[in-house]
Amino acid sequence: MTRTRQEPVIARPGAASDASAVVVRGLRVRYGDFEAVRGIDLDIRRGEVFALLGTNGAGKTTTLDVLAGFGAPSTGEVSVLGMDPRTRPPQLRARMGVQQQDGGFVEELTVLETLQLWQQLVERPDRPERLLERFELGHRRDVPVGKLSGGEQRRLDLALAVWGSPELVILDEPTTGLDPQARRRTWDAIQELQEAGRTVLLTTHYLEEAEALADRVAIMHRGRIAVTGTLAEIVAAQPASFSATLPPDAPALPELTGWVERSGDRLTVQSGDLQRDLTAFLTWADAHGVRLDGLRAAPASLADVYHSIRAEEEQ
Amino acid sequence: MTTTAVTGTPTGRVAALAAAETRLVLRNRTLLVSSLVVPLGLGLFWVLTFSGQNPATVVALQLAVAVGMGLYVTATQTVVARRQQKVLKRMRTSSLTDTGLLVAVVAPSAVVAVGQIVVFAVLNAVFGVPFATDPLAFVLAVLAGLAQAIAAALATAVVTPSAERAQITTLPLMFLLLAGAVVVTFVPLEGWWQALLAVPGAGPGVLVRFAVEGGLWAGGLVPALALAATVAWTVGFAAFARRRFRWDPRR
Repeated sequence: MTRTRQEPVIARPGAASDASAVVVRGLRVRYGDFEAVRGIDLDIRRGEVFALLGTNGAGKTTTLDVLAGFGAPSTGEVSVLGMDPRTRPPQLRARMGVQQQDGGFVEELTVLETLQLWQQLVERPDRPERLLERFELGHRRDVPVGKLSGGEQRRLDLALAVWGSPELVILDEPTTGLDPQARRRTWDAIQELQEAGRTVLLTTHYLEEAEALADRVAIMHRGRIAVTGTLAEIVAAQPASFSATLPPDAPALPELTGWVERSGDRLTVQSGDLQRDLTAFLTWADAHGVRLDGLRAAPASLADVYHSIRAEEEQ
Repeated sequence: MTTTAVTGTPTGRVAALAAAETRLVLRNRTLLVSSLVVPLGLGLFWVLTFSGQNPATVVALQLAVAVGMGLYVTATQTVVARRQQKVLKRMRTSSLTDTGLLVAVVAPSAVVAVGQIVVFAVLNAVFGVPFATDPLAFVLAVLAGLAQAIAAALATAVVTPSAERAQITTLPLMFLLLAGAVVVTFVPLEGWWQALLAVPGAGPGVLVRFAVEGGLWAGGLVPALALAATVAWTVGFAAFARRRFRWDPRR
């Protein structure tokens, strides 16, 4: 796991290989005076699920738009499946599926008509009936898309993106607005793509979604990539914590390497060396006969990393 | 929706989307009625009102209404609506080319405009209004008008944020198309008449005049200037659209 505040640290330029589905170097995107993406590097390997996390306005959708060929970078280099998406080569569109954040439907067309039209517009072979069944839209096949619920529209959207099982699938917040059951079904579909060896790039602001699906994640904040790596790498670099409720007459604490915070009787320690600090703490409690109610120890979560990045930026 | 016969080819993909768009027009009874009944009523009114007038003026007016209202305004609204709905953005992830996508989106409007011209032609024949004595010249005028209106629609879409706003943004050019096409059918083609060709619509209007009065293929400066003006406006609109067209909804 690598981490910086200003510069993303992933692979060095030139380090990408045929194993990379997406390579981005020094990408910047400006809209007038506003810089939405402020110099990012990315390497997304073939066959992995890569999650781009971040708050609204972090630059995730702008980055995806560039990768999908919708937007042009102000500066930087981008390669998707070995091609330049700016020129929108047909060979690239034939191998890539894209799910938009919302919209994109002719609302008067029915679900079946939409799939049948898509069948004629893309080069990847697939069958509307299969997608209707896979995404549980069969009972809504003759309903105009504009009359579908938000969750049903997202499922149809996903069906179009995965049509013909493209090599690379780009999903922009695929589960936003879905109920838990629908979200679960979407996760299943993404895991199916993963098992089929497809590359999936998704954006989300649901941390549990990234934890459940992604092989690697990058957290964007204010147009930059603040941290990237596998979940284990990212979490391992973040301080773990333990906490306990102390009696009011507890003696002075032992010397700990971590950061100690007290809130009433509750003690929380953020530690980069959990084993050492926890051992010292338990030894201290045992030696002084201190009872530790509600003792808990846990590694850092992705949420901790996320909040830490936001806190650092705001300082 | 039936599957288009020619699929899997660039032409087949354009035809598939155009067919879907046409199906929507046919389903929309209000649009269908306004597209066909209104010109029918207008055509009837004109042939009865202007039956003794210059036939070139009547035919130019009919053509201008068909391409100005039937095509230019409708195509602008359709393109802008599809952009607002992010349909254009989605379709760009398919195997359609950008040009093919736009052709497919405006094709139904062009078909409706041609249908309106046919309605006008039938009315003229029924009520004895002299029509084109040179059918080939008339076809040339129609094609020139269609090309200019489509390019103008794409250019107008650049500056139109919503389908509702298209009712306003199309007004100036629609009036110019109508006025330009009609005025050149009765002004003497002498002196400084060429200045009128600076108005969009005037070029196709001159071609209609030749289609009704004859003499287009005799050569001469007038038809050449009319064609050049039409091409210039069409290329100008297309170049502007190509440079500034946005596929995403305007923010």
